[in-house]
Amino acid sequence: MNKTIIININSIVFHIEEEAYETLRSYMIDIKKHFGKSSDSQEILQDIENRIAEMFSEKIQVGRKEVISLDDVNHVISQMGKVSDFEDEAEEETSTDQAGFEESTQSQEPPISVVDKKLMRNPDDKIFGGVCSGLGAYFNMDTKWMRLIFICFFLFGGSGIMLYIILWIVMPLAVSRADKMAMKGESPTLQNFKKSFEEEIQGLNPHFSKAKSEIARGTSAVGSGISKLGRVFLRFIAFIILIVCALTIFGLAIACVGFITGVLGYQREMVFPGTEFLNTPQAIVALIAGTLAIAIPFLALLQLMLRVLFKTQPLNNYLSLGLWATWISSIIAVIFFCFIGAQEFKESSTIKVEKPLTAQKVYYIAEKDIRLIEASEVDKNGKKFQIELKGKNLEFLLRSDINISFQSIDSLAKPYIQYNYFARGKSYQAATTNAAEIYYLASQRDDKIVFDSHFSVGPNKKYRDESVSAILYLPQGSRVVIDKSIEYKLRNLSFWDCQRAYDSDEDIKSTEWIMGRTGLQCTPKFQPIVKKSEENKAVEDLVKQAEKHAKDAEEHARKIQKEAKAMAERIEVSVKESSTN
Amino acid sequence: MIAENTQTQMRKGILEYCILSIISKGEIYASDIIAELKRAQLLVVEGTLYPLLTRLKNNGLLSYNWKESTSGPPRKYYQITPEGLEVLHKLDNTWKELVYAVETSLQGRNESKN
Repeated sequence: MNKTIIININSIVFHIEEEAYETLRSYMIDIKKHFGKSSDSQEILQDIENRIAEMFSEKIQVGRKEVISLDDVNHVISQMGKVSDFEDEAEEETSTDQAGFEESTQSQEPPISVVDKKLMRNPDDKIFGGVCSGLGAYFNMDTKWMRLIFICFFLFGGSGIMLYIILWIVMPLAVSRADKMAMKGESPTLQNFKKSFEEEIQGLNPHFSKAKSEIARGTSAVGSGISKLGRVFLRFIAFIILIVCALTIFGLAIACVGFITGVLGYQREMVFPGTEFLNTPQAIVALIAGTLAIAIPFLALLQLMLRVLFKTQPLNNYLSLGLWATWISSIIAVIFFCFIGAQEFKESSTIKVEKPLTAQKVYYIAEKDIRLIEASEVDKNGKKFQIELKGKNLEFLLRSDINISFQSIDSLAKPYIQYNYFARGKSYQAATTNAAEIYYLASQRDDKIVFDSHFSVGPNKKYRDESVSAILYLPQGSRVVIDKSIEYKLRNLSFWDCQRAYDSDEDIKSTEWIMGRTGLQCTPKFQPIVKKSEENKAVEDLVKQAEKHAKDAEEHARKIQKEAKAMAERIEVSVKESSTN
Repeated sequence: MIAENTQTQMRKGILEYCILSIISKGEIYASDIIAELKRAQLLVVEGTLYPLLTRLKNNGLLSYNWKESTSGPPRKYYQITPEGLEVLHKLDNTWKELVYAVETSLQGRNESKN
């Protein structure tokens, strides 16, 4: 009594004995593996199945023999030929790498070609996941050397752990015997199956026996060995490129997500420069397009390396065409958004506003850093400040492009400040609107004029090259004391030069100026306090006194001289008169 | 080993030629092609034939029709195309040249090594 299985080949139903089925099945798998490489595999397999179905139906005799037996299957297989009988044909079909193939058929060894190897984890020789032994089999290296390399990686910064985990995830486990043979680069023919099975029975270390045959081969063909070594090296490089590509794409994805959250305002540590020129949806699209434009070439490289290393199928036409299209369109999008961004800066506009100042003898000019808040005003998280600014993101709102200069006017005129609010925009209209959004005024309290450190533009405004210039028109003769805090906002005025004029080692906190006809002149108020000895002072006093005396004497002498001259004239006139008389 | 290799190379070279000439005789079924080839002691197993037929068909030298069969599934009947005929004629000439070349080089030898 035998168990039978019902199968159908090309929509014809056969009853087949279990044992016969197993044989037929493994035979068909073999054939599929063999022809799987060629492009016409589908048709060839169809023809073969057709023929098998026909041969089976010839065996069936209704009423007498209705079940396909193992003998029938064996007969069919012998007629159709084993995979090993096709081998010669395959050589011709896949004319690539023919030299290597012929060599191996000559020596009648199981073909050990690096090309067909698959990178898989080896479950028979493992410590954690069998990654190292899999890699070792792949690169024809002893597992222990692979492990040593990984231990080195572990030691240097622990990068090996990451690499190991990634490989563990990426590399499939070699479960079946066919997998294990693919891992070692043996082609899955029946003989090799048998060989692998025998090896297992004998408990031989497959690596050892392979190494032995490798050595035997190597001595006879050193040249081919070197080229093979080169190939292994190239694959190693390909492998590194693969990992780099994968990590790059991973990094790009993270960066993209990060920048998008930045644009949306969830965080402000990570903002891609330039995206603030665009509005939010535009910025998101631009970021995604930019990421794709960079990531797709890496993806292509990754796919290429996968093909080289793992013999994966090339991407189908639609997918690769789609990738191309996406890449091109994302590049176009990036260019488009650059253009859009530039458009926003095409026109510029300046709004002039004049505000009167109350006249003072001395003006104290200082800056208030509006970001600084007295500790007493605020709790630890700066919540009060956030509330004051209506919860808006400070960094996006405040600009510090402010400059201050001074002009002189007639000493009797009234002082005033002129503000120039500048901004850019797509059109003159937009630029003017943007300029009008700027809010910046200095405040005067008696003789103190305080400038804020930043000006604000409207909420949710994007950067449009806004700037403010304030010009103080002060009457001639006004005195100005400028605080050091505002130094960096001064235009056409060197705080530092004036500071030097003080001729002091001390840190000067403010400088004093006077408004001349052409502008502010530095007038160091605090004369250096030079310590002089009493003697020196006395001598100096004496010298001064002497000088004064000399001056007095000189003046006196001049006076007498003048009088003498006048007298002489008078005498001359009287002499003339007397002579005419 | 080398002899064996050369043998397969030689066989392979003429196999296509023979298949083409068998098919040129008229519409024929794959297993009949095999029978003919076996009679000519050229082919060992059937599995080798199908890839060859597919390739010749893809090169436009052969075409086929499906025909109902009494004993089983429908069968593919192959026939030669005009291009196939053209190629066959070229191969005929080549074969004559080859026969001449081989015979000339074998002249004066008593036994052939094989």
